[in-house]
Amino acid sequence: MITEPIHLALFEEDQINEAAEAISILRSQGVPDRNISVISGVPLSEHILGRPMSWSRVGLIGLAGAVAGFLAALAITYLPVLIYPLNVGRMPVFPIPTTLVVVFELTMLGLLISTLLGVFVETITPSYGPHGYDPRIAHGKIGILFTCPPEVDCESYDQLVALGAELTHNLQERKLWP
Amino acid sequence: MAAETSYLTGARADLEQSELAEEHLMLDPRPREEMNQMVMEAMTTTTPVYWAWVGGLALIVAVCLFGVWGYMTATGIGITGIRRPVFWGVFIVTFVFWIGISHAGTFVSAILRVFKAEFRRPFTRAAELMTTFGLAGGAMYPLIHLGRVWTFYYMVPYPNARWLWPNMRSPLVWDFLAITTYLLSSTIYLYLPLIPDLAMARDRTTGLRHRIYRLLALGWRGTEAEWHRLRKAINIFAFAIIPVMFSVHTIVSWDFAVGVVAGWHSTIFGPYFIIGAILSGVAAVVTILFVLRSAMRNFKYFIRPEHFDALGKLLLVFSMAWAYFFFNEYLLSWYGGEEAVQRILTLHATGPSAWVWYLMLICNVAIPWLTLWNRRIRRNPLAMFFITLAINVGMYAERYTIIPLTLGHQRMPFDWGIYNPSIFEISIAIGTMAMFCLLYLLASRAIPLIPVWEVQEGQMAHSLKKVGKAHVPSVTELE
Repeated sequence: MITEPIHLALFEEDQINEAAEAISILRSQGVPDRNISVISGVPLSEHILGRPMSWSRVGLIGLAGAVAGFLAALAITYLPVLIYPLNVGRMPVFPIPTTLVVVFELTMLGLLISTLLGVFVETITPSYGPHGYDPRIAHGKIGILFTCPPEVDCESYDQLVALGAELTHNLQERKLWP
Repeated sequence: MAAETSYLTGARADLEQSELAEEHLMLDPRPREEMNQMVMEAMTTTTPVYWAWVGGLALIVAVCLFGVWGYMTATGIGITGIRRPVFWGVFIVTFVFWIGISHAGTFVSAILRVFKAEFRRPFTRAAELMTTFGLAGGAMYPLIHLGRVWTFYYMVPYPNARWLWPNMRSPLVWDFLAITTYLLSSTIYLYLPLIPDLAMARDRTTGLRHRIYRLLALGWRGTEAEWHRLRKAINIFAFAIIPVMFSVHTIVSWDFAVGVVAGWHSTIFGPYFIIGAILSGVAAVVTILFVLRSAMRNFKYFIRPEHFDALGKLLLVFSMAWAYFFFNEYLLSWYGGEEAVQRILTLHATGPSAWVWYLMLICNVAIPWLTLWNRRIRRNPLAMFFITLAINVGMYAERYTIIPLTLGHQRMPFDWGIYNPSIFEISIAIGTMAMFCLLYLLASRAIPLIPVWEVQEGQMAHSLKKVGKAHVPSVTELE
């Protein structure tokens, strides 16, 4: 849990290079990556801003859902026949081709629904790093949220301002949105 | 002299660049704030004409769809034109039509996303919305067709009082599963890329709207982790929803093809139906884009002739593919030599309802082939509107030919008959069309129809590159 004041350096939408430079400056001042968070109105990949790779378990959760869907499909197609075997002349009791359709649909349904669930789960999972928001992010601005650990001297904000940043302090005191 | 030449070169370059900007949305960037404002303005502006349309369509839905359906339920399905030998009529034709229409959302959004076709960016959401509402319209038809709608739960597979366990592998269950899977996944696929735009709407609204957008935006702030997660989820969807899309219409075609009905028992029905669905769906996207461009404020900036041009090329290709599959299906069925099939094919072309068959060929082949090769026509939104309307009329005629016109002339000549749809069936079909338009109209004022962040992302990636003496558009890989 971050207790230090949260600062926001806001850059214009076309100042991607300056934002990347600002992150380098903060890092050189001793601010660790976990104390920096970038918010933006368009996806800016990690390699553009020189940030460590984010991770997500959405894919894994999706895969688990696909397996669950697959098993559910096997259960609903084979269990009724096991419970109530219906023998029809020259027809297999466990026909595979017709089962494949059901197995495919339920596997895909499991995959897709659990991918959405994965997004929900990760959204409500507490995240590390400084929290804060500015509605101008939705207008395309790039924001760098950061906190300065006590052992780091973060007073030299001039370098960020020189890059064109608009600085806001003590974001932790603000509500995210009204 | 040298200075004059350089001045001329500079002026020509400026002209070239302004022409390119006018032509391509991706080369004509505006500040994000302005684009947000344009989309929000379109979303929150309602005129008396808008409310007149909403009222008119709501009335049609109430009377033609729910009123007539209620009357049919109370009176009995005998008021329709379906009777021996044709038990599948306008209801099933319209069901297949709507399921087909719904394919374009996935096609335009997912396939073009996978292949990184940049022109897709401003209209993916319009297409995805069409999928959801098209499916909602289509999904009503199994219930409507049932007649005794209060016994709908008989269709749900569950162990019944006679201890008979349901057959989970029957085509009815395939249909149920395929449509449910597609409806759920396409709705989620509509929702996921919408989250950043809902957050934008959240930040620009107050009151009830604000509270709804805030709830739907899931606390979106635009952090790296959120974008990463969203990208990953969208990618999973884009790849996974394509085979689901193919499976849905294949399964709809198998509703026909797994039987031994003459004219339906064809191995090519799966791909033939899919191509038809994509053709009708892409045509419907163009129709809707024309309406949006004409009716929604500021949409002329986002939807440009270049988009009609690109979709027109796709339509031409799919029209040719449809003709290829149609010819394959027709020729091989004919040379199979089965008397009943030959008779049906002859009747399609020469019988009392032959006009439907010719209408299908004129609308699906002649009109697109004669017009869409021409760049000027493809870039004319009004012309494209009429061409795409004609294609969908043709696709409806195709389904009509396949279903009631084929069922009316099966193997037993004593059991032949001509199907005449009743006013009630036609009314319900019109009612679902009105419902689709009404839902779209209401949604146009509830959610941002342009994915602004995707447009801005595209504009960031595009630039003009000087090659020799010309400036050419170039795209940078940002992901």
